[in-house]
Amino acid sequence: MIRDLAATLAVAFALGFSLSRIGFSSWDEVHAMFTFADLRLTLIFALGVAILVPSWVVLGKLQKVEWPTRGVHKGTLVGGVLFGVGWALSGACPSIAFVQLGEGQLAALVTLGGILVGNYAYGAIHARFLRWDTGSCLDR
Amino acid sequence: MSEPWPVWAGGGALAGVALGHWLLTGRLMAISGRFTRLVDGLRFGRSELQEAAPVPEDELLALLRAATAAEFGDVEAEAAAAPASVEDCLLPPPGQPQSASAQPWWFHLAFLAALVAGGAASAALAGPLQAEFAIRGEGFKSVFGSGPAALLPLLIGGVLVGAGTRMAGGCTSGHGLCGVSRLQRGSLLATAAFFGAGIVTSLALGALSK
Repeated sequence: MIRDLAATLAVAFALGFSLSRIGFSSWDEVHAMFTFADLRLTLIFALGVAILVPSWVVLGKLQKVEWPTRGVHKGTLVGGVLFGVGWALSGACPSIAFVQLGEGQLAALVTLGGILVGNYAYGAIHARFLRWDTGSCLDR
Repeated sequence: MSEPWPVWAGGGALAGVALGHWLLTGRLMAISGRFTRLVDGLRFGRSELQEAAPVPEDELLALLRAATAAEFGDVEAEAAAAPASVEDCLLPPPGQPQSASAQPWWFHLAFLAALVAGGAASAALAGPLQAEFAIRGEGFKSVFGSGPAALLPLLIGGVLVGAGTRMAGGCTSGHGLCGVSRLQRGSLLATAAFFGAGIVTSLALGALSK
């Protein structure tokens, strides 16, 4: 339990630090990424994925692990579009709002409140009206 | 140390954090998933369910269902939907170590708090820590101004991010980084969707502000 908590905290700290150093927590940098004014963030993301592709293959074989699959479901496309519009407006994907807070960009509290409301509201709407199978416990 | 990291350092750090998350915690990194579990944990009290392991899951689920229905009679449908996901999350996927069972909801709170600390440490290295009720950047100011009206896109954007990531079942970390690199179809589609929508929205914002 303690070890798990320490590991969780260490990884989160490293993620917050890295995202800030990269510039992902800057609205201007994210805007520059989406408008192709600066390709640095895009290339960083692509390099991260490029390193991970062979890493998962090797780790999966070494540890004999099969990770859960992430299939397409009814919410994949629409949810992705909603998220993209929100990211471009607020400059924040979920972790970024927290990183911005740490940097002293306190207006991220408004973004964070919005994310909380949106997550809660979609959860309620999904449970009451939609309820399609999302294929993963995290998706429900 | 105020210059942003170059591509090699940034890409290496993102991959390193994603791999570190798996190797150290036995779970794939998924920030919006943690957010969802935190919200639902606060709502349905799932942490009690996870800590009371000796009681058979079926009984617990029935108890939870009954308790939730009793407490929030008008959200019975939601309560009925909730235990199904708890059940799934308690069982580690085939081949995955036992430690991959769900973390208690307050772990997710700790994770998000450590994100704040990481951002603060980075800012402190770049110069004296300063705080203001704003989003920094000339670009943001030129598009939205600096008055109270500039908070509106943050609120609307936040709601869309919260609802969209939950609907799509992931965000930049779970779908974009970890899902795309495992060539998962859902993640490829979600990532194409949010990058595409982000590009269209940002180009529109840029055109409007000129």
